Amino acid sequence: MSTAGTDRVVGFRRAGRGGTYSEQAVLGGHAPRDHRVGDSLPFDDERHLVAHRFLVDEAYLLDAQAYEEWLELLTDDVHYVMPVRVTTALGAGFDSSPGMAHFDENKYSLSRRVARFLTEHAWTEDPPSRLRHYVTNVRTFATEKDDHLIVESAELLFRSRGDVNEAALVSCGREDLLRFEDRWKVARRTIFIDESVIRMQNLAIFL
Amino acid sequence: MTDHEAVFEAVRRGMIPAYIYNDSKLFALECDRIFSRAWVLVGHESEIPQEGDYVVRRVLNDSFIITRDSKGDIRAMFNMCLHRGMQVCRAEMGNASNFRCPYHGWSYRNDGRIIGLPFHGEAYGGEHGFKKRGQTLLPAPNLASYNGLIFISMDPGAEPLDQYLGDFTFYLDFYTRQSKAGLEVRGPQRWRIKANWKIGPENFAGDMYHTPQTHTSVVEIGLFREPKAEKRKDGATYWADKGGGTTYKLPPGDFRERMRYVGYTDDMIDRIKEVWTPDQQRLVGDDGFMISAASCFPNMSMVHNWPKVEDGENVLPFISFRMWQPISEHETEVYSWFAVDAEAPEEYKKNSYKAYLMCFGSTGMFEQDDVENWVSLTNSAAGSMARRLQLNSRMGLLEDDTPVCKHLGPQVFHGPGVAQIGYNEANQRALLRLWADYLEQPAVSTQAMRLGTGMDGIPPLIQTSCVDASTMTADRQVTRA
Repeated sequence: MSTAGTDRVVGFRRAGRGGTYSEQAVLGGHAPRDHRVGDSLPFDDERHLVAHRFLVDEAYLLDAQAYEEWLELLTDDVHYVMPVRVTTALGAGFDSSPGMAHFDENKYSLSRRVARFLTEHAWTEDPPSRLRHYVTNVRTFATEKDDHLIVESAELLFRSRGDVNEAALVSCGREDLLRFEDRWKVARRTIFIDESVIRMQNLAIFL
Repeated sequence: MTDHEAVFEAVRRGMIPAYIYNDSKLFALECDRIFSRAWVLVGHESEIPQEGDYVVRRVLNDSFIITRDSKGDIRAMFNMCLHRGMQVCRAEMGNASNFRCPYHGWSYRNDGRIIGLPFHGEAYGGEHGFKKRGQTLLPAPNLASYNGLIFISMDPGAEPLDQYLGDFTFYLDFYTRQSKAGLEVRGPQRWRIKANWKIGPENFAGDMYHTPQTHTSVVEIGLFREPKAEKRKDGATYWADKGGGTTYKLPPGDFRERMRYVGYTDDMIDRIKEVWTPDQQRLVGDDGFMISAASCFPNMSMVHNWPKVEDGENVLPFISFRMWQPISEHETEVYSWFAVDAEAPEEYKKNSYKAYLMCFGSTGMFEQDDVENWVSLTNSAAGSMARRLQLNSRMGLLEDDTPVCKHLGPQVFHGPGVAQIGYNEANQRALLRLWADYLEQPAVSTQAMRLGTGMDGIPPLIQTSCVDASTMTADRQVTRA
């Protein structure tokens, strides 16, 4: 079964103004530019199994807020970007806010965010949120290099704070570039949030 | 009104009935008397730089299309079709020469004028039945800009924007005017928080006292050069007409050295010197104060800070402004923009943007802890105990209302208004005094507006500021005449 035209369906190439969201990001100049080749891999392909397992293992780390360990899953040249989505007319040719993002991070800025959670004074996560990252719709693509894979997923984050506060949800699609260094790591992550106005008090979490 | 007189009286003494942060009756009164009258920030001219660009913004529940037409004029039109009331624009931003209502196909030019009305002759008998000529979408009751910041007032008889802002413009210039080119603005990021809309403006206006406690973590991770957040008590707070804010005390030096200290490069300092008045420069160069956070009544805030964006000693300034859009007595939509001098070098713009993302906005590390406090406060303000509690907002005042710290004289503080050094809540009190004053005024009339007067479309935006854009407008007016 062919999955041709998937770029359009998924949205990671629908950024308009040319290129991917990572390419258009203000702070994405350093990001690796490897891209997918061909259709999604069969679900019994070894490479798909590896990528899928990686995402699920990572989700458990994020649920547990084991952020030091999580940081080790990111390459030194990682680009971690979440564009600001905007509602535009169908023919507008873009669907994200030009020059603005929620996250547009490299390893240093992510490391500061993680370091903050490790202080005793990051009040927004003390008491900690109860988090559940649901990861599904996983599919994997080869790249031109054996040690690089593209993996896409849908993610739903459930976040509960306090005893009676209404819980908050974030729904997003992700496209990751995984690279094998001594182990598989994320070299590029694009988080495509499904809301224009976020219904969560802050993004003191990772997706 | 009578049941609120005691509230206003207490607020004016600096004792705040806790329930004002979560009360549906007061919220209705705020909508009726503050947001029906005050000038409210909706965006920046640089968000719509090209002909046909538009953004859609709300004042409470009223949606306005803010467009730039083919002559470069900016207009704000109520986003509701004259026929059956459908939104004529359902996108948040884009570029269009006209807007076509999807319901029955009435269409409007981006200056507000009707240009298409299907079956005008057959259905209405043409101009004899429905005068299409000169009919426009309803204009925003009042529209004006200051240094590119676009404001709407829902009061057709509102005082001019520059009079409304008053002496606060002296301070607003630091954020919005760093060269003749003005600002380049990106965003906004938008998110909703379960907090009352007044808490954010109060915090940005004058809460230097919370920095050492709430933001300890940001200092601990080395984001700031100053080792102690409590440095804030050496800064001055000021209030001037509709707004006020906080400053940091800078180490000794002249204007250039002190601007360099917070990360401005020499080329930027040269451009800044061309546009800041001598007194504005003295506030930094002679007095040693650098503006930080600020708020303008009712719901605009600004921030200027200078964190590190990579390992090392270098810091870099960023500017952000925001609008706290009231949704209900316990929910607020935050609009947070990043702003940078349009003439700044690209590398500076990138790093300044990075500084913004790390500190403020939806993912900002400062912001995260602030909102946690505000949500908790709003929750607690809903119950009956909150009606029995008056929060003490008298910091900086003795029991007989004498200030703990003397007001600064004009020789040590070159800005207008009233200023003092040290922890105090004078600005929060000033903001809530304005709040009480507005709530005591009668509501603005919302009688039906006369239609069919806009042969040139609806009236364009009035620029009240001194950036070069004002001369551009003058040119345009000549052309139009």
